[in-house]
Amino acid sequence: MKSNGPIQTLEDNRTASLKWWLGAADIVAVGVAEGASRIGRAHIAIADESFNILARFEVTRPVSESVRVVHHGISRLCYGSVGLAARAAQRATGHKPR
Amino acid sequence: MNTIPRHPVRWQDHASAILSGFLGDWLEHRANPLAVELQMMFEGQPLDPAQPQLAQPRRTLVLMVHGLTELESIWDYPGQPGVNYGSELAEVLGATPLGLRYNSGRPIYRNGEDLAEALETLVAEWPVPVENLILIGHSMGGLLIRSACQAGLGSGHTWTGLVESCVYLGAPHEGSWLAKAAHGAAGFMHKVPRDYLKVIGEVLDVRSAGIRNLSRGDILEESGALAPLLPNARHFAISGLLARQHGNPVNVLFGDALVQEGSARGANQADWELTDYACFPGIDHIRLTHHPKVYEKLKEWLE
Repeated sequence: MKSNGPIQTLEDNRTASLKWWLGAADIVAVGVAEGASRIGRAHIAIADESFNILARFEVTRPVSESVRVVHHGISRLCYGSVGLAARAAQRATGHKPR
Repeated sequence: MNTIPRHPVRWQDHASAILSGFLGDWLEHRANPLAVELQMMFEGQPLDPAQPQLAQPRRTLVLMVHGLTELESIWDYPGQPGVNYGSELAEVLGATPLGLRYNSGRPIYRNGEDLAEALETLVAEWPVPVENLILIGHSMGGLLIRSACQAGLGSGHTWTGLVESCVYLGAPHEGSWLAKAAHGAAGFMHKVPRDYLKVIGEVLDVRSAGIRNLSRGDILEESGALAPLLPNARHFAISGLLARQHGNPVNVLFGDALVQEGSARGANQADWELTDYACFPGIDHIRLTHHPKVYEKLKEWLE
């Protein structure tokens, strides 16, 4: 619990403000990393609905599977890169679970 | 009306309070500085319960406990920082008004244990003997007061014997419809065999332990456990309603926007005997914290 101790100095305020911004950066970084992972999963799941429909028709069936593989590969690469960058930023903030 | 000098609440404090409400237990686990610490507040400044330094300490204390994602400034009348139910009641009752700031995303029972400890220390170290404690809680704050009373009783704390009155403003004793809806929606999303809907369920699952407690009004560690009111104290409940006509279907469905009337008065709580209950149609959940009509009722009950 915090106390009503000595009056805070300008240096104390600056330190508290820096900590606050580092904490905010930690939340944003985790949010982007986790968000990228989940949005990636949702994107691929929604795309699968379309590819499943395409696979039912004779005209599109031959190419739908290969397009699906390429689409999913590029998607995973993109979302994975964003997640990786966010996790690097997260480590830079110096916050680790207790 | 007395205006109390105070430092304005920073926007970062508001941001921390909101994030703590939604992610408080996770922030605490990560040792993130945005996790709000439990603090007693006096005139807008933290007050150390072990060394309370005040010019005129009184024998009666009025403690105001805010709700989910809020700060103690929620109690201030619009455009009048420092003027609130606590400061007005303090003049009428000759009391010292105190506020509480806490991480509203933590489980309610854990905040209750910490509040009980803080009150025990405060009462022991208060410069003059404390004779009366008046506890006023809004929304989750009302549940926190009940939780602290249970923790205090369990630990044999002396302050529980000093509690004269507890007032619960829009407290979801039997849960909030919105928290129940979030709980139900998350469960439904997980059952549907579609990954994109499971993702929505996972996002809903990120909500804090404090919010989860609000789906059933849990104040003890064991979910759904019965919790009687503190004996030998008076207990008052107030509920608001969105529409001015009491029987309006909007009121039946949404209550004061977040808490339905039956939940605010603990209609289905076994062995509860409220000293009095008041309902204010036309006053929503947030305005319950700073409305002249509510103050008049508080004054009538507590004077």
